[in-house]
Amino acid sequence: NILTACFSVGYSAVALNHVIDFKEKKQEIIKPVSPSELFPSLPIVQGTSKRIKVLNRLTLVVSDPSHCNLLRSTSANIRLYDIIAVFPKTEKLFHIACTTLDVDLVCINVTEKLPFYFRRPPVNMAIDRGIYFELLYTPAIKDSTMRRYTISNAISLMQICKGKNIVISSAAERPLELRGPYDVANLGLLFGLSEGEAKAAVSTNCRATMLHGETRKSACGVVYTVKKPRKVEEEETAVPACKKVKTQA
Amino acid sequence: MVRFKNRYVLCEVISEDPRCRQCIEDRALGLAIRDAIARVHGDYGLACCSISFTVKYLNAYTGTVLLRCRKDSYRLLCSALPFVRHLESRAQRYPCSLNTLHVGGTIRTCQKFLIRYNTAQLLRLLQNCTNEEERQCIQKSLLSCSLTEEQSQSGDEEEDDDTE
Repeated sequence: NILTACFSVGYSAVALNHVIDFKEKKQEIIKPVSPSELFPSLPIVQGTSKRIKVLNRLTLVVSDPSHCNLLRSTSANIRLYDIIAVFPKTEKLFHIACTTLDVDLVCINVTEKLPFYFRRPPVNMAIDRGIYFELLYTPAIKDSTMRRYTISNAISLMQICKGKNIVISSAAERPLELRGPYDVANLGLLFGLSEGEAKAAVSTNCRATMLHGETRKSACGVVYTVKKPRKVEEEETAVPACKKVKTQA
Repeated sequence: MVRFKNRYVLCEVISEDPRCRQCIEDRALGLAIRDAIARVHGDYGLACCSISFTVKYLNAYTGTVLLRCRKDSYRLLCSALPFVRHLESRAQRYPCSLNTLHVGGTIRTCQKFLIRYNTAQLLRLLQNCTNEEERQCIQKSLLSCSLTEEQSQSGDEEEDDDTE
């Protein structure tokens, strides 16, 4: 239902989010729902003739360094997700996430006052590695107190990172909480972005995140093998985010 | 030459409730937008934006709204539009959301954009058409859109087919 609203408003790629919270004891990474199970045929993007992409995304809420070991484990289910995001709760974890963890997005909390201040070195390292910072806008639409926290956290992030590498996304639970891309870019103006940066936050940065997620499946994003019966090999160029990645067999 | 420059913002009202479409009126919408601006930008924002703020055009069938504001304050208006959540009229609250389509300097440019947008919407509906008569209707209205005809927002015919 929410997805059909997305399609009618004009988005060309949507990522479905699965959140894993480590406070409970038994947590396994579940297999993501394949998009073909949800829709028999994906509708076409408005204005072009391509089909809409539906991706799977995993968000890990980490409050302890031991939770990060999950990312290094060779669980098969992690490989099935296209984009991996981490939600750090402490300053140390934020530093670890920006510098060493193998993720695509670092979520910034918008629903409460940040317990830590951003510092420039980890943020700059994250920008160099091609990791994007994510802000949510749906709490701002729902509640006035959340709006204040969202804006204050967003502006403090802007002051450190100068508006680069920002992705604005919605955590919409109902189709009416979704906003079109032009509106979301205007919301970016409220967060302190300039107009070009705000439009990029909705379009080019998101695409770069998707490509970054794809580099995890291939060997540093240079060679992309497709398992077909004819064994076709394709070359693919990706965002310059070269780092050591475990190659998939 | 000194003249006041305006910006015209073209939006679309998206709602789940079909009854909401009937109760879209310019006064209710203007109140809802002013209320959203007041919540987001406060008294200063509300005062800035309401210098020359009116709802210029409203189409209840397609939910298309054309707003006018001053060029200096159109950013305040545009950044407050995502925060509109309800429309109130006749003591009924309908949840809805506004989707910005286009910002232009004159009504004519907005009208040109709207015609292109409606044509694209009609084409999209044409694909999902099941009935042969609807198909003929839509094709006829597609072939007859142009700027010279008066008020050629051919979105009206599409809605009649849709909301049967």
